[in-house]
Amino acid sequence: MSVDRADVVVIGAGVSGLSSAYFLAKAGKDVLVVDKGIVGGEASGRNGGMVSERVDEPLLIPLAVEATELWTTLDEELGHPTEFTQEGRLQVAVTEAEMGDLLAERDVALRHGIDVALVEPPEIRDMIPGITERTLGGLFFANGGHANTQLTVQAYAWALQDLGGRLYQNTTVTGLRIVDGRVASVETTAGDFAAEFVIGAAGPQTGLLAELVGANVPVAPARVEILATAPVELRFPIALVGNGLYGHQAVRGNLIFGGGAHEWADVELTASPGKPNTPLIRNIARRLAELLPGMADVPVIRSWAGVVEQAPDYRPIIDILECPSNYVVVTASAHGFGISPATGKVVSELVLHGESSIDIRGLGLDRFSGVGRGWREERGWSPVPQRA
Amino acid sequence: MESRPLVVVGAGESGTAAAIEAARAGVQVTLIDENPIPTAMAGLNVPQFFGRRFVSTLGNKAQMLERMTAANDALAEADAAGVEVQLGTCVWGAFRNSDTSRVLEGPQLGLADHERSWLVKYDRLIVATGARDVGVGFAGWNLAGAMGANGAHSLIHHYQALASRRMVVLSTGNLGLRTAEMALDRGIEVAAVVDVSGSARGERALTAALRDKGVKLYTSHTVREAVGRDGEIESVVLVEIDDNCEPVGGTEKEIVADTVCLAIGLAPNVELPSLLGCDLAFDPELGGYVPVHDDWMRTSLEDVFVAGDVAGFHDGMVLDAEIARNQGRLAGVAAAKSLGAIDTPKAVARRNDLKATGTDSKPYDAYSHWRRWLRALLNVGGPDVFACPCEEVTRADLIDLRPPRFLNRQTERTSRPSLKALAKDAPVNPDQVKRLTRAGMGHCQGRLCREQVALLLADASGTDVADMPVMSYRPPVRPLPLRVMWPHDEPDQVRNEWAKWFSPTQQVLG
Ligand SMILES: Cc1cc2nc3c(=O)[nH]c(=O)nc-3n(C[C@H](O)[C@H](O)[C@H](O)COP(=O)(O)OP(=O)(O)OC[C@H]3O[C@@H](n4cnc5c(N)ncnc54)[C@H](O)[C@@H]3O)c2cc1C
Repeated sequence: MSVDRADVVVIGAGVSGLSSAYFLAKAGKDVLVVDKGIVGGEASGRNGGMVSERVDEPLLIPLAVEATELWTTLDEELGHPTEFTQEGRLQVAVTEAEMGDLLAERDVALRHGIDVALVEPPEIRDMIPGITERTLGGLFFANGGHANTQLTVQAYAWALQDLGGRLYQNTTVTGLRIVDGRVASVETTAGDFAAEFVIGAAGPQTGLLAELVGANVPVAPARVEILATAPVELRFPIALVGNGLYGHQAVRGNLIFGGGAHEWADVELTASPGKPNTPLIRNIARRLAELLPGMADVPVIRSWAGVVEQAPDYRPIIDILECPSNYVVVTASAHGFGISPATGKVVSELVLHGESSIDIRGLGLDRFSGVGRGWREERGWSPVPQRA
Repeated sequence: MESRPLVVVGAGESGTAAAIEAARAGVQVTLIDENPIPTAMAGLNVPQFFGRRFVSTLGNKAQMLERMTAANDALAEADAAGVEVQLGTCVWGAFRNSDTSRVLEGPQLGLADHERSWLVKYDRLIVATGARDVGVGFAGWNLAGAMGANGAHSLIHHYQALASRRMVVLSTGNLGLRTAEMALDRGIEVAAVVDVSGSARGERALTAALRDKGVKLYTSHTVREAVGRDGEIESVVLVEIDDNCEPVGGTEKEIVADTVCLAIGLAPNVELPSLLGCDLAFDPELGGYVPVHDDWMRTSLEDVFVAGDVAGFHDGMVLDAEIARNQGRLAGVAAAKSLGAIDTPKAVARRNDLKATGTDSKPYDAYSHWRRWLRALLNVGGPDVFACPCEEVTRADLIDLRPPRFLNRQTERTSRPSLKALAKDAPVNPDQVKRLTRAGMGHCQGRLCREQVALLLADASGTDVADMPVMSYRPPVRPLPLRVMWPHDEPDQVRNEWAKWFSPTQQVLG
């Protein structure tokens, strides 16, 4: 098999890997990205497209705030459209308990200087025509928004290629060759690629890849579902969270909403996990009809699922391994789309300078020193046994 | 949840035959068909390409039910055999456990009538969902009046609700000839039957009969455009083509017609087998992707069988419904055998009987015929004709991977994205292209355009269509209003323990 080389080899053409690749290529590195499938064929092209400041997870706020800023100029930056719409994000409460959660989130937001405001039901009805009368109140984040996941992930890819970066789709990583405490080359179905740095951004497979080099990166894969309706006249450009759902109305007019139970899954290093839907989509449809009663006649035309990965503390992992010392771990813990511009920026800085200008304390691997190999079973984060 | 020993989906020739066969073998059978369909769906060209050429009585469900039953003697036979027949009921989903989805109580179908949806488990499933019209585009094919042969057949035969006065039929295969004949019988004028090939392709006797009735056949011709007013087709411009499918100057003729019926071909309706994960294989003689099945019509899944056009359609089947019926009977026997209702020797004997009565089938490469049509239409109509009418994506938009028009934005960078670059590492993936251009993303979910899109992509990227993956199918495979999808049977647990995106306190449903 041929051996090719690059400064940086990125494993995974999802938003995390491609954004990292783009920023590295922009900094002048020779970058090569491989993926076992197509660009954004997994979670990155299958998600809800929500962009937020992640006030629900304070340790992520610096990264997420940086991302919302990068998003505002991302189309120009990449030279390809992402459909990013920044008209804000509205979280509505339909129960007293949810209202309590909103008030708590508001306090966190204010402490971090985030542009947030409580809104009353009449205002909510102006913002989201056709929304239920049952809202008790809402929290409006001025900098939230949404983008088209599939256009975005391809925009990163094209922007990378515009800078001379290479992209190999349908190319599966089968092994990592270590020499003297460094990954010397990445073994793939299209040959071996030698590299100075290797970035493991393989989504749910990130843990399995790390195992190849003897590192423990605790992530549990899970399947989640989402649906889309036929396009309807554009009513609200605001990203909306409420009644157990998150979602938005796409620029084309389709309502795209997800939510509900996830299902823990196992994945294989070299195979694409199954992504079936289940009858859960009916329950999502009901909640959407309850949230937007004015849209109850709109037909659902499609649903899909994606497999994400989750760390024990629900936070992304962005870190360089101690050994092999040229291997970067990037995994998003099921919130990777919105933060992706900042993820790429951080990864590029880590590779180029060994440190990041953005505060990523709390995203390193050191936090898992006490997490043993059996953590998924202990938590009940393993797949349920297969029925006969 | 309700449960049935054997569900047959599709009450056409094959499905009804399957249901009768299995019922007579002692199996309790449920036969489901989505007709009569809600008019809102019919207006969206789902599930059939009606081109809005239906009269308003289509909305009268009771009357349509009556006509459907009257038009199909086999339904009465099924009823007499004890089959539970559910009409006006669509199957919009099919679910089963797999590696990453393990909590279902067993394989099940999502069903809906015009008002509500529900789930039904099955022990065995026979999919007899037929085939759908293959669309190839010309200027004006998004106007009311452009429809498909299968749609026309259904409107004439099931509903007696076809609203057409003067029709131009495209393609002279048996499908086209039969459509023309059927239209004439209903008092619809047939202004022309057109084909890109140099001579009529169907049975001679059919061609002769049409000629006798004064129908004009235009071979070596194609459509330049359908001309319309107020969104309705009023005339069709034909043009002669040479051996290279290039238009011959000065040969245009405008023909007054309110309907253009595409009878180029049919493609198997494999949505449900695809959702269930049955293996599909590409066979250009049988209309594209078909479920792989053994000589008992059993798919790669033990409990799922196929019969009729869904198992593969070719033009010879138009003239001989016995082919589909025999497949149905065979699937019925096989399902009965696998349920233990009849023993193997009896089943084998019955299979041998059925084989003996099977007729010669004469498939030919449907794809090369479709490709020829497309080439002619492209040469004559150019790149600015819609490839996907739902999302208004032109052939040029598709081939150049242009972002959707509503974004009002074109790439300014020097290296324009190209299909060839995308196809560098592997055959072009229609799902990937769909996500970038929206071709196939509309309310019909590519029912009308997938073959055309695949052929255009294959030609532009130098890929063999046979190597291109199937454009994916996802539930609901029928557009289902939120209020219909609404689960009236929602368990309290789902209601009360609803998880908000991995919130730490929430459990996974088991
Ligand atoms: C339904 C759904 C809704 C979501 N909603 C949102 C949202 O609204 N906002 C948000 O921010 N996030 C959301 N997410 C989460 C988000 O999609 C993911 O966190 C994000 O896409 C992760 O990107 P990634 O690049 O890290 O991983 P992925 O997109 O999973 O990419 C990893 C890539 O690695 C490749 N790979 C794996 N193994 C190998 C191998 N051995 N060889 C080669 N390649 C390999 C895979 O093929 C894949 O393309 C949602 C996810 C889903 C599924």
